[in-house]
Amino acid sequence: MTELLNSPLFALTLALGAYVVSLKLYLRSGRFALLHPTASGAALIALALVLLDRDITAFYQDVNWLLFLLGPATVALAIPLYRQLHLLRDIAGPLLLTTVIGGSFACLSALALAWLFGANQQTLLSLTTKSVTTPIAIAVTEGIGGLITVAVASVILTGVVAIVTVEWLFKKLGVEDDRIWGFCLGLAAHAIGTSRAFERSPVAGAFSSLALCLTGAFTAVVVPLAAQWFAT
Amino acid sequence: MLAGFFTLLAFQLLGEVLQRLLDLPLPGPVIGMFLLFGYLCIRGEVPKDLETGSQRLIDLLPLLLMVPAAGMFFLGDQFADQWPGFIAAISLGTLATLVFSALILGWLSKRRQEKHD
Repeated sequence: MTELLNSPLFALTLALGAYVVSLKLYLRSGRFALLHPTASGAALIALALVLLDRDITAFYQDVNWLLFLLGPATVALAIPLYRQLHLLRDIAGPLLLTTVIGGSFACLSALALAWLFGANQQTLLSLTTKSVTTPIAIAVTEGIGGLITVAVASVILTGVVAIVTVEWLFKKLGVEDDRIWGFCLGLAAHAIGTSRAFERSPVAGAFSSLALCLTGAFTAVVVPLAAQWFAT
Repeated sequence: MLAGFFTLLAFQLLGEVLQRLLDLPLPGPVIGMFLLFGYLCIRGEVPKDLETGSQRLIDLLPLLLMVPAAGMFFLGDQFADQWPGFIAAISLGTLATLVFSALILGWLSKRRQEKHD
């Protein structure tokens, strides 16, 4: 029996099961942010591993090939980027400038805050990609020597924080233009923010996808270069 | 769909090859993404197979991400003193980013509009 527990079959069944259950839970709750499948599903997997007294590293090895799919999934992001490109036509200047300034701010503010609260270098490296979509965050974090686990958690929680607060925050700021509303949410909170933006309006959703792609592309280029520059 | 997967894998492979040949600091899949983007711009449309193949993969992302996210619960003692920094960066950093980018974009687009008027 134990050899079954130590098989890829079991690990994959567990992962898929956690996915199905957490997705149902999320939809039932009316898409309650804290129950986002990636967060609640991860908690279910962790709970199962603890109850069954299984080692997380062994589990990772069993589902390793699943993580392999993140590579082609990253390449696939070229398609939404291409599709959203027409949105740039009217206000390309402000949008591109906001991507560069806002994207840098997202990264630097995280670094500054974490550093102030005593985070070590590895944690800092893992936080640089908190505002970009997870496949890119994983690829970049792996390249610069951060902890993938921390990077993924930071991305998910960033999305959760943003969609829980955005309504209230933008109302206070008087942001009513759906283009600005969506773009900034996509910039700060990647795919999770984008799904929230689509709930507001198709325009907000489209601009959010554009911001998601632009910020991802910008960060993917700049963070490794900056990390290399600081390391030398 | 499989032809679409092939395109994605081929572009990733191309990205990995370029990364090694030129010793680029960017990750291979990211280079592959830019190459595919360039290819789509030249081609002017997204092939049907590529569309379905990539959509399938993008739909699967929550499942793919759940697994590394689970590792967060097993970080243990070595991470115990890192939580304050982590939480500060995620909460305050994200709120600040939302406010900052909204102010910048609002200001930039308003300035642009005034110039046009």
